[in-house]
Amino acid sequence: MSGLALRNVSKRFGDTPVLDDVSLEIGADELLVVLGPSGCGKSTLLRAIAGLETIDEGQILIDGVRVDRLAPGKRGVAMVFQSYALYPHMSVRENMAFGLINIGTARAEIDRRIAQAAKMLEMEHLLGRRPSELSGGQRQRVAIGRAIVKEPKVFMFDEPLSNLDAALRSRTRQEIAGLHRRIRTAMIFVTHDQTEAMSLADRIVVMNQRRIEQIGTPLEIYASPATEFVATFVGSPAMNILPVAQATADGAFLRVALGDGTQLETSLPASAIKDGALRLGLRPEAVRLCAPGAGDTNATVEFVEFLGDKTHVHLALSRGDRVVALAAAPCTARPGDETGLVLDAAAGHLFGSDGRNLKAAPA
Amino acid sequence: MKARARDAASGEALSGALFVAPYLLVFLVLLVYPLVSGIWLSLHKADLFGGSQYIGFENYVRLFKDDVFRKAVWNTCYFVLLTVPALTVIGLALALALNNGTRRSAVLRGLFFSSSVLSVTIVTLIWRMVLVPDGGLIADLLASLHLPSVPFLSDARLAMPAVALTTIWWCIGLPMMLFLAALQQVPKDLYEAAALDNAGWWRTLLRVTLPSIRRTALVVVVIEIILQFQLFGQAQIMTLGGPNNASLPIVLFIYQIGFQRWDIGYAAAASEILFCIILAAAMTQYLASRGRS
Amino acid sequence: MGQTRHGPGRIAATAALALAALIMAAPLLWTLLLSLKSNAELLRGTGTAFAPPYTLQNYADIFGHSAVFGWLLNSAIVSLGVTFGVLALSSLAGYGFARLRFPGRDVIFILVLFGLAIPEQSVIIARHQMFSALSLHNTYGGLIFPGLAAPFGVFLMTQYFRAMPKELEEAAWLDGASRFRTFWKILLPLSLPAQATLGIFTFLATWNDYWWPLISATNSDMYTLTVGVASSQMNFAQTNGLGFLMAQAVFASVPILIVYVIFQRYIVAGVSRAAA
Repeated sequence: MSGLALRNVSKRFGDTPVLDDVSLEIGADELLVVLGPSGCGKSTLLRAIAGLETIDEGQILIDGVRVDRLAPGKRGVAMVFQSYALYPHMSVRENMAFGLINIGTARAEIDRRIAQAAKMLEMEHLLGRRPSELSGGQRQRVAIGRAIVKEPKVFMFDEPLSNLDAALRSRTRQEIAGLHRRIRTAMIFVTHDQTEAMSLADRIVVMNQRRIEQIGTPLEIYASPATEFVATFVGSPAMNILPVAQATADGAFLRVALGDGTQLETSLPASAIKDGALRLGLRPEAVRLCAPGAGDTNATVEFVEFLGDKTHVHLALSRGDRVVALAAAPCTARPGDETGLVLDAAAGHLFGSDGRNLKAAPA
Repeated sequence: MKARARDAASGEALSGALFVAPYLLVFLVLLVYPLVSGIWLSLHKADLFGGSQYIGFENYVRLFKDDVFRKAVWNTCYFVLLTVPALTVIGLALALALNNGTRRSAVLRGLFFSSSVLSVTIVTLIWRMVLVPDGGLIADLLASLHLPSVPFLSDARLAMPAVALTTIWWCIGLPMMLFLAALQQVPKDLYEAAALDNAGWWRTLLRVTLPSIRRTALVVVVIEIILQFQLFGQAQIMTLGGPNNASLPIVLFIYQIGFQRWDIGYAAAASEILFCIILAAAMTQYLASRGRS
Repeated sequence: MGQTRHGPGRIAATAALALAALIMAAPLLWTLLLSLKSNAELLRGTGTAFAPPYTLQNYADIFGHSAVFGWLLNSAIVSLGVTFGVLALSSLAGYGFARLRFPGRDVIFILVLFGLAIPEQSVIIARHQMFSALSLHNTYGGLIFPGLAAPFGVFLMTQYFRAMPKELEEAAWLDGASRFRTFWKILLPLSLPAQATLGIFTFLATWNDYWWPLISATNSDMYTLTVGVASSQMNFAQTNGLGFLMAQAVFASVPILIVYVIFQRYIVAGVSRAAA
């Protein structure tokens, strides 16, 4: 098969596991984003694929060939580093040529590839310059160009946008998406920024604590988070999590009672009930304000964030639980107001004590 | 499966060893071996012709009883006391005076450091022709004032101060440069704050500048102690340690015993004592820099 | 200082600085003047050096006195040999200690650091015996080898390589470069400022070294300039005279002063790093 495959990859530093039984497949023209908080193992995963870290167990295959024992330069991969890691004493052209000279590429072929990449990235005028003479955005481009000329089978990005300012970051994101449409190579993009992940990915891999939590399209990740971690990590503001005091399975659907006695009906069949404490996850758009007493429960407005096209209302329920509601842009709520709340539990998720979504297929 | 990580690690270990090995070989053969064999020698009665006999600590006992060695230790300490405070204070004063961007200061910095790059033999040649009573620069100047000349190098009381003066002239560049580098690193806003607080020149010096460079001052003092304890060339060339051993330092004692009288074991023992003194000074620096940072 | 002084204090400070500069410069000028006088005049008294006539005869005599050129050549060979040797050994070892993992690395590095505290005097006697046994005295090897053992360069280069971003190396490995090629094409060129500083200090120290060449090079053909000038000085009575001796001092100072002027920037950089 073509593309990249990881099979049961594990790695430890001494007694500390840094990758725990990771399996993954990436199609030959797929852009996969690895998303997770810092320290979750996503950079280690990338470095293991590149060969910059050895693995203790498992296999890594590129186009069906095992590469996990090969030197980094022999794996057919290229990487854009967070710091770009351009060679400061070489011109842009020399930076791009270095990797090709090392594998004995013919001079004419090197020139052809550099010319082609420079044209694609609109940086022909930069070829004679040193990295110190380039702006942050230009360095980023050179780093991408240096990877492109190697015509790698797998193209890797390690948080490449984190050193750019907000405006440039958004533009470069679009350029990387455009680049992927043109060169149709397997790409792995590591980030802790969910916006980057959602906007770029064909599929997202969410990692936490050295393990893969979920693999899915951006829509699947958002709409059907497999675990409470995925549910709260993706989405802004984060999903509201409310402890369930009691769950009852006497009707067609599972019913839950919150700590303040509020009764809600979910969209889960009654048979999905599980032992142990449950938690109800509601995205802010599933929480709406209404007149006091007219909704499922009442709450006190603590704090109102007006964001132009919409408003986030932070509320405290009577038992002290806090929720965020999404409201229309002109919102009359003021801190201290009593308000009613409609909680659309049918659009919500229930998480078991193991953190897994009851809606998802059993693990 | 475990073996794989080990393969990569052993490859790295092998290349690590290859990168380090050439220096390590030189280090072991030319520094560690002579150090150990020097200590071994110091426990022997040994001469140039290979005769060698184990005598335990007898060389050290002899040293403590040897008036010439005790004199050499005292002379060396006296020399350090003459030079180190002067080098530190003058070096600091020059750095304060020359720490600005003017062309004049740049030229003077170059002048004060220029003597440091000369070799000891040139410096002593120059200063002999300054100090000798017969035709020296000082003697000529005194003569023009109708004053008698002073026999700096042949008067037992003046020989060591004369060697010290030569040494200060030779070595003033390094402390000055170290202090200049430290002054450059005092944050400018400290001076601006002091100026806003109406602090005068002296107050700024005492309350802002000196506290900011005390670490460097310590480094200067310890480096100079280590360097000046190794006094050799100036005394060997200018006075031959005389008159009457008045300017004989430890290193010259070692040289005379080891390479003129060829009492090698005895010279080795004296060199181990010097080693201990210098090691103590280096340790002081290490501990002090630890304590402050 | 961030402030300037005013009034009498300022005048006193300027006067003190002028006096210090005079004391610094006077012996140098005195030497230069003596070297420009004929021996006949100096025999009448060195006070004659303050007034013309001046002559370049003493310098002309140096060019007829081949020993000085031999010493100069010896100094150059030994100093360059030690400098290149130290740069090569220190760069290799510095990279190994900074970046490669091998068993015992940290312990070995600490042992090498302890070497910084070993003064030359405590090893010189045993080293002299060892070189006698190996018949290395009065050879260039005998003069060069001891200089290669100093751990300072290893310490400096290790610090420098440690501070370099690891990603540069990783990028080179991904670019298919071997460990040695990465070292040679990426890290070594980037360490040039440190190499320059280490090189100039090593060169100066070797050029000016006195003790080791004094005891190792006993044959006057193998004298370095430092030892040679000392021997002329000791044999003062046998030389062509005072003017010639002082011309030798000036002549011997010129190469090192040229090196100093060219590399001043790196000397200042090196001292600044030591102070920080």
